[in-house]
Amino acid sequence: MSDVFGISVSALQAFQSAISVTSNNIANANTPGYARESIDLTSAAPQANGVLSVGNGVVVNGISRTFSQATANQLNASQSSLGQLTALQSYSSQIDNLVGTTAGGLSTAVQGFYSAWSDVANSPTSTATRQALLGKAQSVASTFQSTSSQLDALNTDINSRITSDVQQINTLGASISTLNKQIIVSTAQSGGQVPNDLIDQRDQLVSNLSKLTGITTTTDSNGSLNVFVGNGQPLVLQGNTTTLTTVPNQFDASQLEVSTSTSSGNVISSQITSGDLGGLLAARSQVVNPAKNQLGQIATAFTETVNSQQNAGLDLTGKLGTNLFSVGAPLATASSKNTGGATATVSVASVGALTANDYVLSYKGGAYSLTNAADGSAVSFSGSGTSASPLTADGLSIVLSATPASGDQFLIQPTAQAAGSISSVITDPSQIAAAGAVQTSPASANTGTSTISSGTVVNAANANLLTTATIQFTTPTTYSINGAGSYTYAAGGNITQNGWQVQISGVPAAGDSFTVQSNAGATGDNRNALLGASQQTLPVLGNGTISVNGAVSALVTGIGSQAQQINTAQTAQTAVNSQAVSNQQSVSGVNLDEEAAKLLQWQQAYQAAAKALQIGSSLFQSLLTAVQSA
Amino acid sequence: MRVTQNLNQTQFLTALNTLESNLSQTQNQVATNLSFTTPSQNPVAAGAVNNYNQALAQSKQYDTNANSAQTRLGTEDSALSQVQSALQSLRDLALQANSGTVSSQNRSSIAAQATQIQSSLVSLANAQDGNGEYIFGGYSTQTQPFALNATGASYSGDLGQRQVQIAAGQSIPDGDSGATVFNQIKTGNGTFTATAGVANTGSGVVGANSVSNAAAYDGGTYAINFTAANTYEVRDSSNVLVTSGSYTDGQAISFRGVQVTLSGQPATGDTFSVAPSTNQSIFTTVQNLVTALQASSSTVGANTQLSNSVNVALNNIDQALNQTSNVRADIGGRLNAITTQLSVSSSQQIQLQSSISSLQSLDYASATTKLSEENVTLSAAMQAYTLTQNLSLFKYL
Repeated sequence: MSDVFGISVSALQAFQSAISVTSNNIANANTPGYARESIDLTSAAPQANGVLSVGNGVVVNGISRTFSQATANQLNASQSSLGQLTALQSYSSQIDNLVGTTAGGLSTAVQGFYSAWSDVANSPTSTATRQALLGKAQSVASTFQSTSSQLDALNTDINSRITSDVQQINTLGASISTLNKQIIVSTAQSGGQVPNDLIDQRDQLVSNLSKLTGITTTTDSNGSLNVFVGNGQPLVLQGNTTTLTTVPNQFDASQLEVSTSTSSGNVISSQITSGDLGGLLAARSQVVNPAKNQLGQIATAFTETVNSQQNAGLDLTGKLGTNLFSVGAPLATASSKNTGGATATVSVASVGALTANDYVLSYKGGAYSLTNAADGSAVSFSGSGTSASPLTADGLSIVLSATPASGDQFLIQPTAQAAGSISSVITDPSQIAAAGAVQTSPASANTGTSTISSGTVVNAANANLLTTATIQFTTPTTYSINGAGSYTYAAGGNITQNGWQVQISGVPAAGDSFTVQSNAGATGDNRNALLGASQQTLPVLGNGTISVNGAVSALVTGIGSQAQQINTAQTAQTAVNSQAVSNQQSVSGVNLDEEAAKLLQWQQAYQAAAKALQIGSSLFQSLLTAVQSA
Repeated sequence: MRVTQNLNQTQFLTALNTLESNLSQTQNQVATNLSFTTPSQNPVAAGAVNNYNQALAQSKQYDTNANSAQTRLGTEDSALSQVQSALQSLRDLALQANSGTVSSQNRSSIAAQATQIQSSLVSLANAQDGNGEYIFGGYSTQTQPFALNATGASYSGDLGQRQVQIAAGQSIPDGDSGATVFNQIKTGNGTFTATAGVANTGSGVVGANSVSNAAAYDGGTYAINFTAANTYEVRDSSNVLVTSGSYTDGQAISFRGVQVTLSGQPATGDTFSVAPSTNQSIFTTVQNLVTALQASSSTVGANTQLSNSVNVALNNIDQALNQTSNVRADIGGRLNAITTQLSVSSSQQIQLQSSISSLQSLDYASATTKLSEENVTLSAAMQAYTLTQNLSLFKYL
């Protein structure tokens, strides 16, 4: 008879536990990381009773988590990808908005500048149109600067987010290792019973970590979890953690890199390709810096073309024009790890060949090598790096102050600082070079029918450009210049001297002469202003295939396409992630209706067990009564 | 598949977020009338719109240039039309002076009128445009180009001719150098000048002269010498006899492709020269006329000289009138080109505007349809949420 009581009590206890487990599930229905639990019941070992074997009640074996490591891993990986794309998307959409459909007003400003040149050409002596041109020049420069400084601000923001991500990763790593220790102790104390709540917490921390950076995990036999970042750099090994730090980039101290130690030799930035941190690093190298370089490329080409035209003309005072814009030269930064003291100086040799790439110049084993900084591909170059024979590649000319030590590296950034440093340097409207540099005239005594063109400048740097020169026909078919030489006359052919070029056509007579001289005083001349205005459509970039404004349009399209692509990828990954969340929830999440049903189930079972106890008790009572009455 | 309340909640919130952001974007499109507001919404169109906008702005700038050239050419044309009428009056005066019945007193009054005309010619040649630039100064538009002097007028400008771009690849000059308009005027008939020797004593007057055979005229200088009152010989610059003949009043003397008509009676030893035309400024022509008119002319020889001088002046005035007409015709051609270009560019601009608008402007019909669709979806999602949220087994416990 006693077994009825024993069995009923074991059932009451088991069902009470089951109700507790269900209540706990309900209580944690909204707890992040909670995996629903279920009670493991088995029947107790039977008691041999002669030939019969009667069961001995129910035993609670344990409380287990409903958890699938595979779906958890899937979710973590998907969260890492989503984190990366979300961070990337936040910057690409900022640049998308910043650039807008007019490249941050750049296309409007550039257009206004060229229109102002046209206005100067229409009325070259007017101070008002010249002043307007200076105003437009100022506005082009400030548009470049403000766009560039907004990009710089994004880089600053990226740095601070990298720092905070690294801090969070370290905190999570430390918490995981602490939990590892607690889990080992707790498992040992409870005789092998796994502490579900601690494991839930640990899994939640791992999940949070996966949002910050891509991770891989392994579980040791003692239940502790090891976490690796990058290409297998250990972050947590049982109870030990590695602390990540941020160190300045070896070339550019303003850009932070992630390292496994304070030494810059252990930079693992390139290995971190997912999670928020991976997204930040990608945003910097794929979105912000390229945009800044492209903007700088446009600024450099714009400055170069405007200045060279300005140098080829005369201003109102009759002097050759000085530069209208100044722009920062390409940067060449020695690595902080260099052992030699050599410095590199880079200048732009050909604007047309200039790219928006950054380069790494390395010196090893007595030879230079030049690679694209973004993808490491080799860039062909010529020269030996001395001032007599500079290294030339992609429109750049690189001169080293001395032979670098073997292993030394330099980062070459041809256009990174151009957009931020462009400024308009002329303030006096009379310094606008609207007039052509030279003027030509036939001698009044000429008897031939030949005429001379007005003259163009082919080399503004020629020191004798403005020196008066005379072209004298010694015979109708030969001429001398300044009394020297004897050249054969070809009607309409180019005659080039002192940096200018003229054409004489028609039939000259012997003794005819033409004078080419400085155009000083010809304040109404607009030839140079016309050329200035016509540069709007002059293809200067991309080896003479793209105009400045064309490059601005290409920048808009490029940034737009990139942002669109990232948006699409982010949207797709959001869907993938939501699928992973629902898979994981489907396994481990708490369904309240299910719990309600279980609650009823356990309640009824409990009531039944109680009834069994009551019946057992009444059976015993019946027996006692029978014995007493007998 | 097990669906948990928590997942339900999260998924609903995510969906709500997406729907609301789509709705907001469509709303923004409708409010701005733009089919895209950031390049990422349509990267290719964004770049293309940028290019079209540039082309449009450039085309408008060309219009501005054309209008500025139009104004300047208009000013030049009106100055030149006044120059033409001044030259016409001068021509009338010269004809009047040459009529032979004019007294010396009248001649000096004609001279005074000619002087008057000369100063008005100089002031026309120094005309300025609306910006205060001298029209006929070439590139030197801030220096007064012409100043009267003893032999006519000096020129301080240059030969420059300013161009204005009125279309891609099309530039037109917005003026003409004073040197071309007023100074480089061929003397005589444009090919050669026939003049009477200053020491002539007869009454021979140079009349009409022309090139009868351009190929035969070698551009040389020839002298027609009268060896007797009715006999002439023609010698070239090397004193080689070219031809000779007997002189008849009013009959043309022809040699080497040129024809020179003399009238009156030249005396023995009188010479007439034929020399290639040179450039002479209109002011020198007028000055020479005035000087000739002011000279006394009581003698036969002086009268003949006056007639010859006036004839030379008439020739030169005709050349100047020709030149002015040519320049004005040229200006007319440029103004025509501008008008044509302005109409071309106006249709070009309409084309560009419509291209920009087709890329950038919103299709309202589809946008409003989209807006209401999104609206319906959003409210349906909300309704579905409230319906499913009511479902719970606990309500029945």
